Amino acid sequence: MSRGVVLRGLLGAALLIGGWELCVWAFSLPQWILPPPSGILATTWSARAALLPAAAMTAYEALSGYAIGAALGIALAMILALATPLRALLLPMVVAVNSVPVAAYAPLALLWFGTGALSKIIMVAFIVGFTVFLNALDGLTRVDPAAVSLLRSFGAGRLRVLWVLRLPSALPAIATGLRISTVRAMIVTLVTEMLGSQLGLGWTIFQAVLLIDFLQVWAAILVASIISLVFFGVVSAIERRVVFWR
Amino acid sequence: MKLSISGVGKNFGAVRALDRVDLDIAPGEFVTLIGPSGCGKSTLFNMLAGLLEPDAGGSILLDGKAGALLGRTAFMPQRDLLLPWRNVLDNALLPCEIEGLPRASSRARAEKMAVDFGLRGFEKHYPQQLSGGMRQRVALMRTFMFERDLMLLDEPFGALDALTRSMMQRWLLDIWERYRRTILFITHDIDEAIFLADRVVVMSTRPGRIKLDRPIELPRPRDAHLLTAPEFTAIKRELLDAVEEESLKSFSA
Ligand SMILES: Nc1ncnc2c1ncn2[C@@H]1O[C@H](COP(=O)(O)OP(=O)(O)OP(=O)(O)O)[C@@H](O)[C@H]1O
Ligand SMILES: [Mg+2]
Repeated sequence: MSRGVVLRGLLGAALLIGGWELCVWAFSLPQWILPPPSGILATTWSARAALLPAAAMTAYEALSGYAIGAALGIALAMILALATPLRALLLPMVVAVNSVPVAAYAPLALLWFGTGALSKIIMVAFIVGFTVFLNALDGLTRVDPAAVSLLRSFGAGRLRVLWVLRLPSALPAIATGLRISTVRAMIVTLVTEMLGSQLGLGWTIFQAVLLIDFLQVWAAILVASIISLVFFGVVSAIERRVVFWR
Repeated sequence: MKLSISGVGKNFGAVRALDRVDLDIAPGEFVTLIGPSGCGKSTLFNMLAGLLEPDAGGSILLDGKAGALLGRTAFMPQRDLLLPWRNVLDNALLPCEIEGLPRASSRARAEKMAVDFGLRGFEKHYPQQLSGGMRQRVALMRTFMFERDLMLLDEPFGALDALTRSMMQRWLLDIWERYRRTILFITHDIDEAIFLADRVVVMSTRPGRIKLDRPIELPRPRDAHLLTAPEFTAIKRELLDAVEEESLKSFSA
């Protein structure tokens, strides 16, 4: 990313926050509709002792689920890229399961795996796994047949073609899947936490709503957004490094 | 390596791509193959490279022996197919890597060969950073790194401008004389076909057959002046007539 893009992004954010602050004062909006950014920041700071462990738990759940899901998704895609008949058998089912909104499965996950971190990690691994799997499989199978022929003419077998050609050509698609998954991982963590947990930003938000503490709600949203942005930024930066030829 | 093709044909469903092709190529020979578009030249190459089975009845013998062809010939497809995530040297090393040759010695060989192929100083460049002519030289070098006596080059200079193309032709002859391989070379350009070859083979419209097999006895080494020499023009006229006849057929068909 060039410096100009970063600067313009920061300028846009500053304008938005400034406008928000102005609106709240100008129309003297009540806190439960929209608190001012300055108030949110102040609350975040004063509530840091409670927010920090919650943020750490949310980040831990999202990241672990993400790592497990990504690894499983890529591995499964590689296996199915080699096993064509199995792919034809499984793919329609995978697409069907994936098209049901995740939130629908969350209560089941809580029932089966409890209200601790495990249920969140499994939910995240599930959604990330599907996203990465579908992207990776698409990339692995959409290679130039002429390039496959060329490698075969050099005596390459299927495994070699997978390693030398399919996997590198699938990297852009895999990277896209991984990038989209960062945000999805955060959403699923927060939603599942809201439905049942003892600790986490989703839980903090849910409780603060019950207590009608809207500044606290916004403070937790702010922290969750920061985690999400950093996560997305790091994965995007790695993507630009690894997929340098695009 | 001696290549004998006899009675080789190919159907794709209802389309008869190649009829009965009979062709013999002697070791060290440079043979060019011309013919109308869609007459089955690439199909023939795919069969010679072992990527496609000929229809029953045809046989392809290398040094008089039948058997699996995959990995026996150095095949260069119509497009360069360089891998964008590999630099020039790593692209050229691809066949050696697949063969499982020791990396250090292959690398040393590639570094030496890069000089002959005019790629010195570009070893670490990526394909996206090269001109069309250079990309084609990398693809050719990759084919040479796969050390097989018989090389199948499918329109290697097809996408190049006329100037680069004639330079590459002289350069290829130079390389061929130095490395001494048997080359079968597809082209659409009659000048190129004559300039390079010991023999020009003309194919008919689809279904492809060998229409004409014309030895070219022009002296070597050959240079650009040859293109305007009377003996060259005479051969060219003869071949043009044959090709023209076939092209007309393919339009009226
Ligand atoms: N895999 C395939 N399936 C079906 N038809 C094919 C296949 N490959 C080639 N053909 C058909 O066979 C014929 C010969 O094709 P081929 O690519 O060998 O022609 P060519 O002589 O190399 O043409 P060009 O000079 O344009 O490269 C064409 O009509 C083509 O449509
Ligand atoms: Mg062709």
